[in-house]
Amino acid sequence: MKAAAFEYARASSIEEACALLRERGDGARLIAGGQSLAPMMAMRLARPTWLVDINDVPDLQYIRVEGERLRAGACTRQRALERDARAIRLVPLLSQALQWVGHIQTRNRGTAGGSLAHADPSAELPLVACVLDAEVSVRSTRGRRALRAGDLFTGPMTTTLAADELIEEIAWPIWREDHVGSAFTEVSIRHGDFALVAAAAQVALDGEARCLRASFGVGGADATPVAFPELAQTLAGARLEDSIISTIAERAAAALDPGEDLHASAHYRRHLAKVLAERSLLEARDRAIARRAGQIRQ
Amino acid sequence: MASAAAPGEFRYIGKRRRTKEGPRFVQGRGRYVADVALPGMKHVALVMSPHPSARIIAIRTEAARALPGVRYVLTGEEFCAATDSLQIGVDAPQVRRYALAHEVVRYAGEWVVAIVADSRALAEDAAELVEVEYEPLPFVVDPERALAADAPLVHAAHGSNVLYHRRFVWGPVDEAFAGAAHHIAFRAVWGRSSTVPIETFGVVARWDPGTELLDVWASIQMPKFPDQVARALRLPGNAVRVHYDVDVGGSYGGKRGLKHTALAGYLAMKLGAPMRLIEDRLENMRGGDAHGPDRIFDMGAAFDSDGTIRALRIRAVDDAGAYTGRAPLQLGKPITAICGPYRIAAIEYEPVSVMTHKTPQEAVRGFGQSPTNFALERMMDRVAAYLGMDRIALRRHNLIRKDEFPYRIPSGSAYDSGDYHTVLDKALAAIDYPALVAERDTARRAGRLAGIGISTCLEPSGGNAAFEILFNPKNETTTWMDSCLVRIDLAGAVTGVIGTSSSGQGHETLVSTVIGEVLERDPASIRVARADSLSALPSNSPVGSRMAIMLGGAAAGAARKIREALIAIAAHNLDCSVEKIDYRDGDVSVIGDPSRKMTWDQLVEIAHRKYHRLPPGLEPGLQAKFVWEVPTGGGLPTPDGRVQMYPCYAFEAHVVYVEIDPDTARPELRRYVCGHDCGVMINPDIVHGMTYGGIAHGIGAALYEKFAYTPDGQLASGTFMDYLIPSALEVPALTIVDHCTPSPLTTFGQKGSGEAGYLGAPAAIANAVNDALAPLGTTLDTLPMTPHELWRKISAARATARS
Repeated sequence: MKAAAFEYARASSIEEACALLRERGDGARLIAGGQSLAPMMAMRLARPTWLVDINDVPDLQYIRVEGERLRAGACTRQRALERDARAIRLVPLLSQALQWVGHIQTRNRGTAGGSLAHADPSAELPLVACVLDAEVSVRSTRGRRALRAGDLFTGPMTTTLAADELIEEIAWPIWREDHVGSAFTEVSIRHGDFALVAAAAQVALDGEARCLRASFGVGGADATPVAFPELAQTLAGARLEDSIISTIAERAAAALDPGEDLHASAHYRRHLAKVLAERSLLEARDRAIARRAGQIRQ
Repeated sequence: MASAAAPGEFRYIGKRRRTKEGPRFVQGRGRYVADVALPGMKHVALVMSPHPSARIIAIRTEAARALPGVRYVLTGEEFCAATDSLQIGVDAPQVRRYALAHEVVRYAGEWVVAIVADSRALAEDAAELVEVEYEPLPFVVDPERALAADAPLVHAAHGSNVLYHRRFVWGPVDEAFAGAAHHIAFRAVWGRSSTVPIETFGVVARWDPGTELLDVWASIQMPKFPDQVARALRLPGNAVRVHYDVDVGGSYGGKRGLKHTALAGYLAMKLGAPMRLIEDRLENMRGGDAHGPDRIFDMGAAFDSDGTIRALRIRAVDDAGAYTGRAPLQLGKPITAICGPYRIAAIEYEPVSVMTHKTPQEAVRGFGQSPTNFALERMMDRVAAYLGMDRIALRRHNLIRKDEFPYRIPSGSAYDSGDYHTVLDKALAAIDYPALVAERDTARRAGRLAGIGISTCLEPSGGNAAFEILFNPKNETTTWMDSCLVRIDLAGAVTGVIGTSSSGQGHETLVSTVIGEVLERDPASIRVARADSLSALPSNSPVGSRMAIMLGGAAAGAARKIREALIAIAAHNLDCSVEKIDYRDGDVSVIGDPSRKMTWDQLVEIAHRKYHRLPPGLEPGLQAKFVWEVPTGGGLPTPDGRVQMYPCYAFEAHVVYVEIDPDTARPELRRYVCGHDCGVMINPDIVHGMTYGGIAHGIGAALYEKFAYTPDGQLASGTFMDYLIPSALEVPALTIVDHCTPSPLTTFGQKGSGEAGYLGAPAAIANAVNDALAPLGTTLDTLPMTPHELWRKISAARATARS
């Protein structure tokens, strides 16, 4: 459990980090919180030749609200995002999801960008990014580009990021409707484990409790987290009766292609996907209704 | 030695006092094997077999040897020629076991090559450069399949995969089954879990060619360890010196480390350099040879309509893995409590130990008793369900009554004492059982799966390991003594010297408390030192819940000798008979004439310096040793395999409440009470701490932990990503309710408690889960009861209900 030999560089700016990534080539990897990469290196499952440390880059650690976006620097600690008052008020799904990520100790180190770049298909933050259609800003010495979270993930632990690119920022859409509710549900064997399956949902209702828009998705039940924009679209204009939600959840689960491992069969995962998608939508709906009724004060 | 006193009569025993070893651990000042750093020390890493069964065709080590910093590359060919096989617990001379594989590999993870380098990282680099060419061979990982006539043989020379098989019949089993009104039969399966201490196994060995002495610092909990290391290395016993003053970072049975130590010892001698081998987690889980029991029980019970259990038939097939040491004996210890706390007159027990191409098994907390308790307690609930009888009423009906002790069970052991009904009642009262039933029923009405589990189980303690001779007639061991040396120095300070290392059992607290009690000196002032194996009195190490009884008894015996010596000195100098001496806090006076008195310091001074004032015949200096044989020990088995094993029997009654999410099948423990009676507690905090840990460990075995194998013979759960141990978040608030029935066999009435909690928790949790499943008409008798397994049961039951 000793990492293979590697070189180490600590960047103090985004530009320096990008330059290091370009200079050091394909074997270079960024390290931020190190909560996944360090044990993978210890087991020699990951063998970077260079580690580029971005913990000292101040421009990667911020949370700010700009218009319809909550913007978080990639190196923002998960715990900071979880506890940020603006995030809790404007993008509550983030805080709801982050409570499921590892443990407080790992969230104190783990970063938002690291979770996305690691791209575990059962991880919580990538799911929320897909469900909310977050925008991911990516930097390299070649410039800056932005992509939708759904276009970032290509499979388990794989992304469309090039070897010389780093995630700079994740911009989370803020839903400004009056009656918004969101929910995150998950089944893991123990608290803090990666999800067997997780589901996230957010709905906005009008004054008559009709759905203005909805979004939901499932993690851990396919090669990437999967959001269901077309299915969610069908909810617009409807009253979100239990039966409608159940049908939508069923259809979503049927569209997934879950894998199988020691802890859960594909069959069980598909079942959980249905149960959790349904629960997250019901809970999100109920929260939106409660907000409409003024029962929840922010 | 027997003088069973109630705890109130003691001054230090049973009192909540700060533990002796706690402060240094809390301050991070423990000294573990990884803290032993010797000049010139080299590091060992291992190349493990990727195949469950294969012939080794060739090993190419040139590239590894060429790496700078690499000092040696050792293969099995050299090692097996230069050392002897490790000891096998049963009579199976053709099952030979070495630290490194030679010619064939028998499980995925088996050590094939050892690399010695200047650092562990370099050794791992070199390990990657070793090329081993294998020819894969047929393998078997299913223990029942391994019993088949055409199964691949793990050790061909042994001629079979069976290590041990015997059918014991104690009492009129056939008659009871013929005469009983009802029978049930079912299968219960205990999954391959184990102990996974935070500290993996580690050893540092140093050979001194001048004195021809091998010094060993190791993270051990192993009886007769120095002897076995010496034999493996073909050294005289006095050429191995094991240092017991190494803190052990958890063991719970598994830290045996003979193969590691033989390997490190050989390399230290070969290279003339101190050698350090500390397993990493991957080596520990795949190749550390410390998996636990992996057991299939076929249970049969014969009983009458009033709930009287008349006879049992138990067949237990246990998967020992690819090699063996003491593993098969884990089928033997439960013989000492084979009917649990119940009056059952006739028992048939058929243990079968079988080898497979899996990581070898090692001792786990309770040494096979917890799996057996799980099977027995599932049987009790199944009998109750069959009869439509309340589970508690059934237990009360069959539990041995407190006026029946000592109670001899059919397999030969006499239980010393107990008050099982009272402990059960206390546990039920503590959880408010009627309210709990109401809570469960309310949850059920709301559509949730909710269940209450109860277990009433024994913890045999004292470690009279007479199963050794039962499982190997050539091993005529009938003593498992322990000992203590107590000395008072010139300044009057008291030291207890013990001959074993500790893996968290609190022996320093135990010994200082006991000596303080006898000598009436503050335990905080008493130091407890650990000898090395050349200077130590004999010990059988802290296994089998034995140290409160055995080390406690030995420390008391030695302290009493000191007290008698002090009284003799006082009588001689105060010119009276010893009966007239009043000993108080170490000072003395003459009864009836308190002006004639001497202080502790004066007595010590005489003993150490003033021979002319010593009574005739008394040795100068103040030290005393006491070696204690296990109470009730010494007996040989009868031809039908009845023997008195463990002397003392602690009792625990668990009551647990679980809810299972009906849609996701995820179980959650909501309430937990454990009633516990281990006689007189020497230190209640230590007993409670061990019980908390034991329950957590039992929660793991019941719900989470499994060394699972893939169909192609690979360990699927070789890291903590997949081998899941309960964290603080999975362990509910635990309430422990104490009760004290002193043992009549021990110095202060104490019994053992090192396995407490673990022996009843899996049984109670399994019963709770099955109570929750009962409304669906399904059962789950296989551990661990994971969400996936629960979901399969729940969905199958629902499908059946629909059709």
